[in-house]
Amino acid sequence: MPVEVEVDVSAGLPGFSIVGLPDAAVQEARERVKVAISNSGFKFPTKKVIVNLAPAHLRKEGPAFDLPIALAVLAVSGVVPAQRLDGTGVVGELSLDGGLRGVRGALCMAEGARREGLRSLVLPESNAAEAASIGGVKVFGMRSLREAVDFFGGVREVEPAVAEEDGRLEETEDSDDFADVAGQRFAKRALEVAAAGGHNLLMSGPPGSGKTMLARRLPGILPQLTLEESIEGTKVHSAAGQGSGALMRARPFRAPHHTISTSGLAGGGSNPRPGEVSLAHHGVLFMDEFPEFSRGTLEVLRQPLEDGHVTISRVAATLSYPARVTLVCSMNPCPCGYAGDRRRTCRCSAGQIERYQGRISGPLLDRLDLFVDVPRLSREELRGGEAAEPSKDIRARVAKARDVQHRRQGVSNSALAGRRLREVCALRGDSEALFGAAIDRMGLSGRAHDRVLRVARTVADLAGETGISVEHLAEALNYRRSSFVGR
Amino acid sequence: MAGRDQASYLFLSLLQARAGTSFVSRLGDVPLTAVPEMSSAELGQRVRMSDRAARAFEDLRRDFDPETMLGELERLGISMLTPADAGYPPRLMNVPDPPPALFVDGTLPEALLETPAVAVVGSRKASPSGLDAARRLGRALGERGVCVISGLALGIDAAAHEGVLEAGGATVGVLGCGIDVVYPRSNHRLFERVRESGALVSEYHLGEAPLAWRFPARNRIIAGLCGSVVVVEAAEKSGALITARHALDAGGDVWAVPGPLGLAECRGSNKLLADGAGCIWDVAEFVEAIAPVPAGGIVPLEKPLDVSLPAGLAPGEAAALAGVGFEPTEVDAVAGRSGLKMQELLSALGLLELKGYIHRDGSGAFVRRPAG
Repeated sequence: MPVEVEVDVSAGLPGFSIVGLPDAAVQEARERVKVAISNSGFKFPTKKVIVNLAPAHLRKEGPAFDLPIALAVLAVSGVVPAQRLDGTGVVGELSLDGGLRGVRGALCMAEGARREGLRSLVLPESNAAEAASIGGVKVFGMRSLREAVDFFGGVREVEPAVAEEDGRLEETEDSDDFADVAGQRFAKRALEVAAAGGHNLLMSGPPGSGKTMLARRLPGILPQLTLEESIEGTKVHSAAGQGSGALMRARPFRAPHHTISTSGLAGGGSNPRPGEVSLAHHGVLFMDEFPEFSRGTLEVLRQPLEDGHVTISRVAATLSYPARVTLVCSMNPCPCGYAGDRRRTCRCSAGQIERYQGRISGPLLDRLDLFVDVPRLSREELRGGEAAEPSKDIRARVAKARDVQHRRQGVSNSALAGRRLREVCALRGDSEALFGAAIDRMGLSGRAHDRVLRVARTVADLAGETGISVEHLAEALNYRRSSFVGR
Repeated sequence: MAGRDQASYLFLSLLQARAGTSFVSRLGDVPLTAVPEMSSAELGQRVRMSDRAARAFEDLRRDFDPETMLGELERLGISMLTPADAGYPPRLMNVPDPPPALFVDGTLPEALLETPAVAVVGSRKASPSGLDAARRLGRALGERGVCVISGLALGIDAAAHEGVLEAGGATVGVLGCGIDVVYPRSNHRLFERVRESGALVSEYHLGEAPLAWRFPARNRIIAGLCGSVVVVEAAEKSGALITARHALDAGGDVWAVPGPLGLAECRGSNKLLADGAGCIWDVAEFVEAIAPVPAGGIVPLEKPLDVSLPAGLAPGEAAALAGVGFEPTEVDAVAGRSGLKMQELLSALGLLELKGYIHRDGSGAFVRRPAG
């Protein structure tokens, strides 16, 4: 929503007031603007100055109005030719010496400027590259009020800023690398499959088995963010007032605590802000101690997991925020955490375990494709086998598998259902026979059946094969729910 | 007169379910039939009672309605055995605090009274190999016509009952809750089948909750119904060890199945072996010792565990199967032993599971199934 800055200078007692629902930071602009103008070598009019921020019913927040107010005041004084300001958006925070500081949410503002059909956007230099990545609007970066005045006065030529990169963003180095995780190769493989097919995953295991450590490394094996994804993610973050406003480079990893409220998770507030599930857009939402989340809170996850966005209705507005996430949940097998552990004895009664595992609602369980048991391993069990692979190599395989899926069906394998699923995951000959045997022997339900097919498709994609073979199906069977969960 | 005796025993039973298991034995020379008529002050002079017990006694005296209660039992087809009845299992008098009333849903097998029954007990969180052992023992005993007694809990108890039922034998489940209460719920099918084959037994009247202290208490009844106790996997502080101790006190034998080193769930049972319990190293030999058959009729019941790999497996599957032990083995440990890549290993495990060579336990570990 664009904000117009109107300034009136009239005879009367010298004064400076700002109207139009300004918050505290905007009110303080009076002092910053006054001082910055005089420290830049201009004169602040010794008259009654009224600044109106229109439309008046919207609340204005933050220090980004400093520069437009200062320029408007100087336009009234005749320092800046007013017509040069037409069709140009201006954003920036002033420092007392007249310098410009970066602002939050430059990306959103640039997008707004393009939507409103503005020709150009003037903002602090530190935000220029980020804003330029939107395209369609000429972006000019300024270091100080003086430079901006010279620019509008035509005294100074400024080259429009260019976007940092185009297409894919450069690779980021993640500090959490799979190469640092000893053992747990089963869980790692499951995470690779989850990443490749966009499948949601549940890890079950005693405390200290490394579930959180493993989950943290999932964003690092997801493909690099594309520019478009990064812009979407950054917009959500700036809408929540989080992040530096700089373009997001790494996929987000959000791990809300289990005491989180419904609006904390889905988004809310009278002016709805995005919640954790949206902040994890294009990244990973990690829910540790999954059964401890309140049932009502978990229910709001159903829409985002299904549709990839979340809709929040409040009195002020109904907003929809994107929320395409890979959900990773972790849980202990029982309240004390040690059921099934071979070195510590579980102290829970059968009833307690049943109640604990029954807390996760069926509809939500249906949206999880992969179930992995993460045992605590002794040092002896950690030895041997393949050497740990760096995240970079896994990421390359994952990216390839994702490309295959998008070329074939336009969505990730996790979104396959119904007729589409049967088309894409058609089985032939021995695979069909094996699957039939599996359904009988393991008592797979209809939903479990679809789940195994989807996962097998991803395993085949990771192997770079067009058909689902016996080996792929057999591997997929390992990711089904073990009897501890959701009996 | 018999009716009045029954009512008195029922009263004592209900009282004990509230005031603690040792209440009746503390009554000393107070005539049992007189207790329901006494006031709590009178009774308090003869026996030391806690406030809680006194309150329970008062409440009970006020609400006690033997006719309705006995009628309800009759309607449900549940019989009540008291020490005055001929059918009361004689060995039960040897355990501490014999229950004043034993509720029986089903029929106590006659075998129970003639050949001494065998109790198979152990951990609720047993390993798959422990469950397998319990099931095999149950089956072998069932085939030999020996009644098997256990506690209808999860784990070893359930596996033992199931083994007997597979062999078509008779089995008795002793509950730590009211005779009509199913706990844990997930065992409700097993409850039904045990009732059909033999009986459910409890010292607790209808509707009593499965309180934690009632389970150790019911173990003395298991001990009192059997001649020998077999402990399969018990941790150091396990109810199964209480059963074993009661059985020893009552003059029974104690046997244990040796478990692997390092498993917390086997420390108690292994220690029993060290303390001199009979060692079950072979199911057939054990059954022979417990219930010898007349000459000529001995059939070997069990084949020894076959560790060789079956023929016709793909190389990857063979390597994976060799890596899966007869003890539960986590996938990562199998990977370490077999040297296979994780993808290959997972495929191989999936195929082996389908072919029935291995199975996955509740915590996601794999166990090799004994051949045959």
